[in-house]
Amino acid sequence: MRKRMSLLLVMMLLSFSVLAACGGSKTAEPATTGETVTEPAKPADETTPQPEPAKEATPAGSEGLYEAADMSLNPAPAANRKDTLIVGMTSPKGVFNPLYGETTYDKYVFDVIFDYFLQVKGDGTYENSLADSIDVSPDGLKYTFHLKPGVKYTDGSPVTVKDYAFALKVLHDASYDGPIDILSFKVKGGQDYHDGKAKDISGIKIIDDNTIEIEVTEPTAYTRDTLGTVPFIPEAYYGKGYKQGDLEYIKALHDKPLGSGPYILKSFTPGQEADLEANPNYFKGAPKIKNLIYKATTDETKLAMLQSGEIDMDHVTVNQDNVDELQGMGFLDVNIFPTNGYGYVAFNFKEKKFQDQKVRQALVYGLNRKEIVEGVYGKFADVINIPQSKVSWAYTNEGIEPYDFNMDTAKKLLDDAGWKVGADGIREKDGEKFKINFSATADNPVVDALLPIMTKNYKELGIDIAAETLDFNAIMDKKDKGDFDMFFAAWGLTPDPDSTVYITKGAQNDVGYSNKTVDEWSDKGKKELNFDKRKEDYKALYQELNKDLPAIFMYQRRDMWAINGRVNGLEITPYKDFIYSLYTAELE
Amino acid sequence: MRQYMIRRLLQIIPTLIGISIIVFAISAMVPGDYITAQNNPNMSKEKAAQLRQIYGLDKPVVERYFVWAGNMLKGNLGDSLSHKQPVTKVMNNYVWNSFIIAFCTLVLSWLIAVFAGVFSAKFQYSLFDKIVTLLIFICMSLPSFFIGLLLIKLFALEFKMFPVGGMTTAGINAHGWAHIVDVAKHMFLPTLVLTMLSTGSLTRYFRTSMLEVIRQDYIRTARAKGLKERTVIFKHALRNALLPAITLLGFELPALFGGAIILERVFVWPGIGQVYLESINMRDYPFMLGFTIFIAVLTLLGNLLSDVLYGVADPRIRLK
Amino acid sequence: MSLASAPLNTNVEVPKQKPDSPWRIAYRRFTRNRLALIGLFVLIMMFLICFIGPLFSPYNLYDYNLADKNQSPNARYWLGTDKFGRDILLRMMLAGRISLLVGVVATTIAVVIGATLGALSGFYKKSVDTITMRITDIIMALPTLPILIILGAVLSDLKVDPSHRIYFLMLIIGLLQWPYLSRLIRGQILTLREQEFMQATEALGLSDHRKIFRHLLPNTIPIIIVWATLSVAGAIITESALSFLGLGVVQPTPSWGNMISAANSLIDFRKRPWIWIPPGICILITVVAINLIGDALRDALDPKMKK
Repeated sequence: MRKRMSLLLVMMLLSFSVLAACGGSKTAEPATTGETVTEPAKPADETTPQPEPAKEATPAGSEGLYEAADMSLNPAPAANRKDTLIVGMTSPKGVFNPLYGETTYDKYVFDVIFDYFLQVKGDGTYENSLADSIDVSPDGLKYTFHLKPGVKYTDGSPVTVKDYAFALKVLHDASYDGPIDILSFKVKGGQDYHDGKAKDISGIKIIDDNTIEIEVTEPTAYTRDTLGTVPFIPEAYYGKGYKQGDLEYIKALHDKPLGSGPYILKSFTPGQEADLEANPNYFKGAPKIKNLIYKATTDETKLAMLQSGEIDMDHVTVNQDNVDELQGMGFLDVNIFPTNGYGYVAFNFKEKKFQDQKVRQALVYGLNRKEIVEGVYGKFADVINIPQSKVSWAYTNEGIEPYDFNMDTAKKLLDDAGWKVGADGIREKDGEKFKINFSATADNPVVDALLPIMTKNYKELGIDIAAETLDFNAIMDKKDKGDFDMFFAAWGLTPDPDSTVYITKGAQNDVGYSNKTVDEWSDKGKKELNFDKRKEDYKALYQELNKDLPAIFMYQRRDMWAINGRVNGLEITPYKDFIYSLYTAELE
Repeated sequence: MRQYMIRRLLQIIPTLIGISIIVFAISAMVPGDYITAQNNPNMSKEKAAQLRQIYGLDKPVVERYFVWAGNMLKGNLGDSLSHKQPVTKVMNNYVWNSFIIAFCTLVLSWLIAVFAGVFSAKFQYSLFDKIVTLLIFICMSLPSFFIGLLLIKLFALEFKMFPVGGMTTAGINAHGWAHIVDVAKHMFLPTLVLTMLSTGSLTRYFRTSMLEVIRQDYIRTARAKGLKERTVIFKHALRNALLPAITLLGFELPALFGGAIILERVFVWPGIGQVYLESINMRDYPFMLGFTIFIAVLTLLGNLLSDVLYGVADPRIRLK
Repeated sequence: MSLASAPLNTNVEVPKQKPDSPWRIAYRRFTRNRLALIGLFVLIMMFLICFIGPLFSPYNLYDYNLADKNQSPNARYWLGTDKFGRDILLRMMLAGRISLLVGVVATTIAVVIGATLGALSGFYKKSVDTITMRITDIIMALPTLPILIILGAVLSDLKVDPSHRIYFLMLIIGLLQWPYLSRLIRGQILTLREQEFMQATEALGLSDHRKIFRHLLPNTIPIIIVWATLSVAGAIITESALSFLGLGVVQPTPSWGNMISAANSLIDFRKRPWIWIPPGICILITVVAINLIGDALRDALDPKMKK
């Protein structure tokens, strides 16, 4: 009995951990305990200039880097650790292969072991890493990558573009079950190789050991970057047993990775820690921190572990309590930045009532979003009105309606739409009562505030609302079956604004939303190669989305890293995880 | 007796088949699958279909059941979808960590519960009895993670006697004796909390059974014969008060290997409980099914064990 | 040692001077027990306060006031407010309605099924025992969480009103818990049925029904009571966990369990004790009261206690 109940109790506990688990590439916050690594991210166009962070007023203390106040408070275990950095995080699964890893935490490990042609920069654009230079044909169909000469894997063997071609081959293999959707890259001949009709991928041309040309059948603004973030895996090591259609042998190597990156995996104890050692021959220069340890932590105790010095840094849920606590310790740097994602309430567009723009607008005006967001996150989140991060280059607030809470406007809009208050106080139209069955994933703190406030607001509007909380997968299931009215969830954002969430029949548009104007601007934006024009396309797109409201856009919250003050030189932004600057970081 | 054992062991087979069918049906009915659970925004419909095909999720449920059951008979539980490793290997990675804590807790809590229960009963309504009873109820009324957090605050942060969490100190790579000491230090707090929690209910059961037995005539007779009080209590009374304890002991067998999720979270203990919970949330069917069946077998064995022990404790009980 | 003849003077059947029924004796014994009366009084008060109290509160369930969030107890909010500025006192009373009901109903269901089936299988043994115990084996081996997820999804698909799902929840907790009690009872009955007083009932030619429900089960009451007190507290805490699966109560409706779990960090634990202490104390009082009543009930029903 005891055990049974404790299993259930954990459901509650999990709710607190999920948020903290939302690393940069978390896709939808209310998801499950595991996390998804997005594919090689879709980055911005190569001509992208520095992003222009929105110049909106942010409440003091809610964003930015706050340095440690008093390093003399640093606990002895941390202060005495001269050549070792201990990073706290949820335990990885042990899938240390960039082609297969699915969680952010596995990524934290394998991305310091493997290298790519390109590497992400703080603003979400990409810079050359292993690539010396990249040539793109004017029509955007041919990409020639030139590899930096003289780079070696940590076993001493040379890095060549053959290894890159090998990775592409593995990804195209029919038995490949990792998270990367390579066929969407549209490499020429890729489909044939996947189907077993060809022995090689015709679009891959190895010119010499340091040069490779990739041909695609469909260019997009971000093809160069997606191709540039396919990893180099040594064919001599991973390809020993490779036969087309059989990748079983690669799985045995998941916990024995071999790459050319700044660190080498020494040992991994499941559920406990991964120990890494600096690669003295790293091509960008040997890392200054000799030992890197990832230690498993949980939400319940990460603050205590930071305080005792058992870990040097960890990702902590942002709220006033935690920020006060961390800053109160005195020896921690606190880095708060906007989460790359947003919460929203979806409508079911198969239902007639939600097809009416006026009804959707009324439901936004009539919902006190500000109170919900403030109630949960205080100053550490903003109400949003377009589905884009405020730090993205594509963000705009020109011509955007803020939909401030206004009961009267909401009531008027519903009246105009033909939903009149009936005798029982519930609105009706053509004999149909206005009833909403609202589902929310319970493992998200926003739901605590959303349900009471929404219930109260909508009752006042004359809507019969029944709210429930459900298992995340149960909601996704309802969504797939189209058996819902409204639900609450969250989306993760990629650095590139291209997305299929709101385009007609888009891969992620599973609520049946369709709007020709949105489709047009999305398509233009996806294919436009000129940056300034592209920016205009997205501005028009967001203005339309803001007016038409495919969903109730709720909030963008913050992420936070707490880092022991003796660690210097880590660059962390919404787009760039700490792992990409580890090789330059130092310990005091 | 031997015949009974053999028959019971044979009965396990149909019971297990029944359980495997129900469990598999449950896993098939649970909304969502490993692909939806990942909620990957870049997952196209084609890619999702490909993955379902590779994992065999596109086949009819009945066929999937027989494939799974057939493999299981050969000792192959399949590969965990999220760990990309054989289920048995993943289980082996975590289950022993859970076991050592659960085992230490079991020994400690039974020892304490026997004494606390017996003395509570012997001195019913005394101050000792009242304090024990109240403490037990307080532990029951508060979530266990509070107790865990409180101990961490006291022992790890204030007195710095024990580490906050984990199983070993990061990066020391100790071997032999040093390793054992390191693990023992990390084990102390979680074991303490678990013991506090499970001792409570056990004590109540022991106290009650003892109260029953102590009032019986043969105890009075034993005392009248001039036997030492200690002999009376621990030899004559306790043995007869053991029956409910035997049933509870049977329940402990699956619990030994099942992990204690909350404590694993609070003390970052690398146990199996969290891994199992995650497999349910992620719809990692091979692991979820494999571990459920593993626990099911232990449950059946635990109940069998207690049935056999009844006869040992009270020879008048004859199960046929 | 097993000269034990204790329950031989099992009264009841042996006519005494007064035609007192055993229940009347038990009743008299019970009402003479001061502690038990206090327990009963407290429990009744808890029910009354929870069901009537909210009527006198100046606040109502849907009220929230972010300006007043996280206030410590004061004149306006006697027990303080939570993180949305809701009155804790009101919520505690409203929560009690749910939690008391869940605890008592779920436990009752489990006790009725568990005790009956446990007694039957212990008494008849053979095939009755085999079948019942294999059913308990199966239920105990089932993975609870996935079942609950399915149930939550099904109730949602059937569009069962969220405020009614709590009844299904009580039922399901009861249904999942009875096998544990059942095995405990069966173990007791197995040994009780071999004792001498049962031979006496045999000699008197009593019916099976009478043997089981008049003579065997009353002797297992101590165990039932321990199990039930533990189970009431367990069910109250479990309820809050199940809300997440669409089974328990939904915000803003409170329960003691979800009020306690709203305080989820060491920071709440330290800085805002008024959030978790009141519901914690309510659970504690309920459990202690039930236990006092239970103890008295056992003494009252115990044939060996003579006064």
